[in-house]
Amino acid sequence: MDIAKKILKVNVNGRPYELLIKPKTTLLQFLRNDLGLTGAKQACMDNSCGACTVIVDKMAVKACSVLALQVNGREVMTVEGLASRDGKLHPLQQAFLDYHAFQCGFCTPGKLMSSKAMLDENPHPNEEEIRRDMEGNLCRCTGYTQYIEAIKAVAQKKEVAK
Amino acid sequence: MRDFEYLPTKTVKEACALISQYKEEGKILAGGQSLITLLRQKLISPSYLIDIKGVTELDYLTFDEKKGLRMGALTTHRAIEKSPLIQSKYPVLSEMEKSVASVQTRNWGTIGGNLCSGDPIGDPAPSLIALNGKIKIVSSREEKIVPLAEFFTDYFTTILEPDEILTEIQLTPPVPHAGVVYMKFSTIEAGIKIVSTSTCIILESDKMTCRDARIVMSAVAPVPLIAKKAGELLIGKKINDDLIAEAAQLASGETNPTSDVHGSAEFRREIAKVLVRRAVKEAFEKAKRT
Amino acid sequence: MTEYSVVGKPLPRVDGIAKLTGQAKYTTDIVLPNMVYGKLLRSPLPHAKIVSIDISKAEKLAGVEAVITGKDTWGIRYGFVDTPTYPAEERPLAEDKVRFVGEAVAAVAAVDPDIAEDALDLIEVEYDPLPAVFDPEEAMKDGAPQIHGEITRTTSCAWEDWGVARKSHSYTPINNVAGRVLISYGDIEKGFAEADHIREDRFWSPATSHMAMEPHTIVASYDPFTGRLEVWLNHMAYELKRYWLHKTLGIPIQKIRVHQTYIGGAFGGKAVIFDFEVLAGFISRKLGKPVKIELTREEVFSSCRNSIRFDTTLKTGVKKDGTIVAQHVKVIVDAGAYKGSAAVAMFLSHQFSEPCFNRRNVRHEGVGVYTNKNFGFAKRGHGAPQNRFAVDSQIDMICEDLGLDPVEVILKNLRKKGDILPNGDKLESYGLPKCVQLVADAIDWKQKRGKQRDKNRGVGIGINGMFSGSGYWPFACAAIVRLNHDGTITLMEGDCEFGQGADTTYSQIAAEELGLPLEDVNLISGDSELCPMNYSNFLSGGMFVGGGAVWYAAHDLRQKILKVGSELLKVKMEDLDLKNRTVFIKAKPEKSLTFGEILRYNVQKHLGDPLIGMGYKKAVPEIEFYPSLSKGTGRFTDAYGLAAATAEVEVDRETGRTKVLKICIADDCGYEINPASIYGQMVSQAVMGMGDALLEEVIDEGGRVINPNLVDYEIPRAFDVPEIVILNGCDYEPKGPFGGKEAGECARAAVIPAIANAIYDAVGVRVHRVPITPEKLLNALKVREGKK
Repeated sequence: MDIAKKILKVNVNGRPYELLIKPKTTLLQFLRNDLGLTGAKQACMDNSCGACTVIVDKMAVKACSVLALQVNGREVMTVEGLASRDGKLHPLQQAFLDYHAFQCGFCTPGKLMSSKAMLDENPHPNEEEIRRDMEGNLCRCTGYTQYIEAIKAVAQKKEVAK
Repeated sequence: MRDFEYLPTKTVKEACALISQYKEEGKILAGGQSLITLLRQKLISPSYLIDIKGVTELDYLTFDEKKGLRMGALTTHRAIEKSPLIQSKYPVLSEMEKSVASVQTRNWGTIGGNLCSGDPIGDPAPSLIALNGKIKIVSSREEKIVPLAEFFTDYFTTILEPDEILTEIQLTPPVPHAGVVYMKFSTIEAGIKIVSTSTCIILESDKMTCRDARIVMSAVAPVPLIAKKAGELLIGKKINDDLIAEAAQLASGETNPTSDVHGSAEFRREIAKVLVRRAVKEAFEKAKRT
Repeated sequence: MTEYSVVGKPLPRVDGIAKLTGQAKYTTDIVLPNMVYGKLLRSPLPHAKIVSIDISKAEKLAGVEAVITGKDTWGIRYGFVDTPTYPAEERPLAEDKVRFVGEAVAAVAAVDPDIAEDALDLIEVEYDPLPAVFDPEEAMKDGAPQIHGEITRTTSCAWEDWGVARKSHSYTPINNVAGRVLISYGDIEKGFAEADHIREDRFWSPATSHMAMEPHTIVASYDPFTGRLEVWLNHMAYELKRYWLHKTLGIPIQKIRVHQTYIGGAFGGKAVIFDFEVLAGFISRKLGKPVKIELTREEVFSSCRNSIRFDTTLKTGVKKDGTIVAQHVKVIVDAGAYKGSAAVAMFLSHQFSEPCFNRRNVRHEGVGVYTNKNFGFAKRGHGAPQNRFAVDSQIDMICEDLGLDPVEVILKNLRKKGDILPNGDKLESYGLPKCVQLVADAIDWKQKRGKQRDKNRGVGIGINGMFSGSGYWPFACAAIVRLNHDGTITLMEGDCEFGQGADTTYSQIAAEELGLPLEDVNLISGDSELCPMNYSNFLSGGMFVGGGAVWYAAHDLRQKILKVGSELLKVKMEDLDLKNRTVFIKAKPEKSLTFGEILRYNVQKHLGDPLIGMGYKKAVPEIEFYPSLSKGTGRFTDAYGLAAATAEVEVDRETGRTKVLKICIADDCGYEINPASIYGQMVSQAVMGMGDALLEEVIDEGGRVINPNLVDYEIPRAFDVPEIVILNGCDYEPKGPFGGKEAGECARAAVIPAIANAIYDAVGVRVHRVPITPEKLLNALKVREGKK
């Protein structure tokens, strides 16, 4: 079957894009292959590991399990859009750095995006809420502890600020 | 993944027209949280994918003291989990939703899509059945209301005809002296459910006698399993620990599990017994308090 | 103790910015112009003759550039073990027959991955099924299906290439025996005769997945005009991959370059050469184009190495007070279709035991057996987790028999600092007694052991030892430190960064030695063209060998700077020190020269010498670098890492589900170069060990893996992680860089028996097969209650 490509209009990390893509392109493939944003990773292929997590309209989603055309007209944020343009790390990135919250780093972009979406929705989660909300992000290196601590630190700082 | 035509829709009418045009060649895409994996694994390869995620008219949660709850099929799991309305009127749904896959999946995946996937380890179906849920099915031909309990026919199979769309879930208003409990058993906290149950116990005004009981389980049969005999045993009787144990034993006997990597059929039956006993007891205690 | 300013500090990782901003490049992120995508067709049968393969339809599919089968790669052999006695028998594509489900039978390259996948569906393979055998004991019986005929090599074997004089000869397995080890010392009969109490028990450990988050991937790019092969791949020491690419493809080794990439976790699972890696190089050369092959998660489970299946029968004799007087270990390893590292694991399970208990009279026999299943390799501790589960479980049982306390019995049987092991390795650093004490106290052993069964709670303990690199060819590593114009340095060292923190800790070592802040170290790592020889990144040789080489290289440069400083400042070298890119007189710090001045002066004055430091290190100094694995003789390592763990659990008696409440680990890694990195390694092992104890098993049915995905193969997630306490049990290692040695592998094996023993303490029931799943534990509880 000869399938026509379709136009995808989407805003990624604050910039508008308009591209022709095959309908079967997943959001992850679009970001990695068409835009060269390779921070989000494919690790499981069946929606179970969270390494491909990006934010769509303020929600963390697994980019491997969303068709690119489904985000038409929406706003997507990837790990590449997290730090400010002048190179200042996002507080979560800084905390991950300070707390040694990553090792191999392969799944780290996914964890950053999950935790960003979580804190944007609920700035002061307790530890149980953090652990529950991070269930979708598998990790084999860290044993989770250091990055839960990092997220907690950011959550607590926000509390102090208020 | 094989190629397909992608057909985004904005209205139920539009979606119905397309699916009645393509029938078996077409497939409805809602959140796609299981569908995309099936496409990638080539377990299904439709020629036309009709995307209804953009049908905003199916994304709603409303409540009426007389009619009860109306939930659009495109309501996301996360919306159900976080809804103050659900939390106050049907807290068990919110509790159950916390255990559905991961936040990412709950953010994008929809309740309608979940039910239509017909996965017997899914948790929403048993909970909604325990709450006596009904669903609205729409096609270009007709519109009908069906008890959710009658929706599932086999593994990954439902009564849905190739041209039909599930559009709404309906729940009756909460009744007094009712306790509903969701309980799961998995090896790891967010793991595959080896067994889960949603159990509803409604008491007479004496707060002792069981007026109605619905014990529904996942992962122990090809479809969400309603433990009818166990429920019948309880109805009309004063509830006590011995009766609960007897009901749990009956419920376990009603299951028809298979063995897989997560547990043997025998183990699942054993766990079903334990879970149902614990769930009925907790539901009973809850019912007494309301 | 000396005050350090860079080592010993939990400094942020130098790979942090790249990894946290999504800029870190992994192999999957590498895209080259004109690149094609490879996919492998894999056998659906466990044992079958290949009658024919028809690739004509696949070749005709638009977009397909190459289809190859075993006919194209006939005779190519490789394997982790390739010795004169046991020549390598792995091959990139099956030739006359397939030996396990998942073995590659054909490979396709196409312009996009989907076309390559479609092409696989068009390849028609006719198989003639053969009887298969899945159980090692069945496989050893007369009349069992024979999985291999004569194993022979058409080229020299690896050991010949590496300087062992003996020539390889062919090997024909009899009754599927893939290899044996027999290690003994003392007098085992006499030992048992002296024992007051003897127990014999049997324990099983399954295959588990390393489950590194990054699935195995390679990009191979062959240039037909220069004959050079450039690769980006997942590895744990590029020399090993480079050697085998050279060997299998016949490309001169100096024409193969392994490029630096970050590696998304390894745990042993990426050290060896794989079928798809050889094939990527093969197809790239055939096409003159870059080829990328990314494995699916299912392929990682079914066709890459998992950990090794152990069946251990353990007979131990003790005196009344628990003193071990004899131990007889019988191991059957279910090797799978190729031998992988079966023999090595059988040996290591012995040798990692040696620094733990003084067992006095020992016999350790192992047999590795071919079966029609996927085969195994090292996973974080290589043989130790399997062995410690058996040994420390049995110690617990012996203590129960004799009414003794396991902590006391463990302490009584430990080796002593300064002990020389039967093979000659010396325990110059030995923090294990301290570790045992620390974890016992941290779990509140005295208050809790045996006292919480009414609450279905219990505590347990386990220990372990691990090499800091070993005498495998030649297990050595070199490093270069250049002094730059601005006084910063550039460190060139080959270890790859797969999460363990090598980039950071090595940079810390170089910085400390030269009095520089960490940010003054420019690092070039993991590139075979830019870095000197590297062979230290597995068997936990990273810090001790790789880090040691860095230390020596930095020291070499330090001496050179001091010498020039002494010449210019007219004082003795020992009166000088280095700090912040300057050399200064200790007594008069204002009298100083910048490194830039030192460099400029030296270039002018000394024939253009720009001051380059060089260092190298070998895990064992002895010239004899081929100790006998099968006899357990010869030196293996200069330093052992050591660890002890305790765990507290609560069991749901009605469901058999175990909840781990707390894990304590005390580790002796000599010295913590970066305490935050060490902490991360320990927590990682606590959680991985918990997965081993309770959850993880690659399950097969008729040789087919039935849980080859992350839905059905469950690993601990964020919510499952208990309270974890990490304690410092370090004993300064005189031969290590700043006293450092192994850290990344040892503790995992201690956690497994700690949890198993805690479960026993909680409910009085012992499961002899890990993982101790709810179903197994519930069945065991029922058996005990007489309900089954």
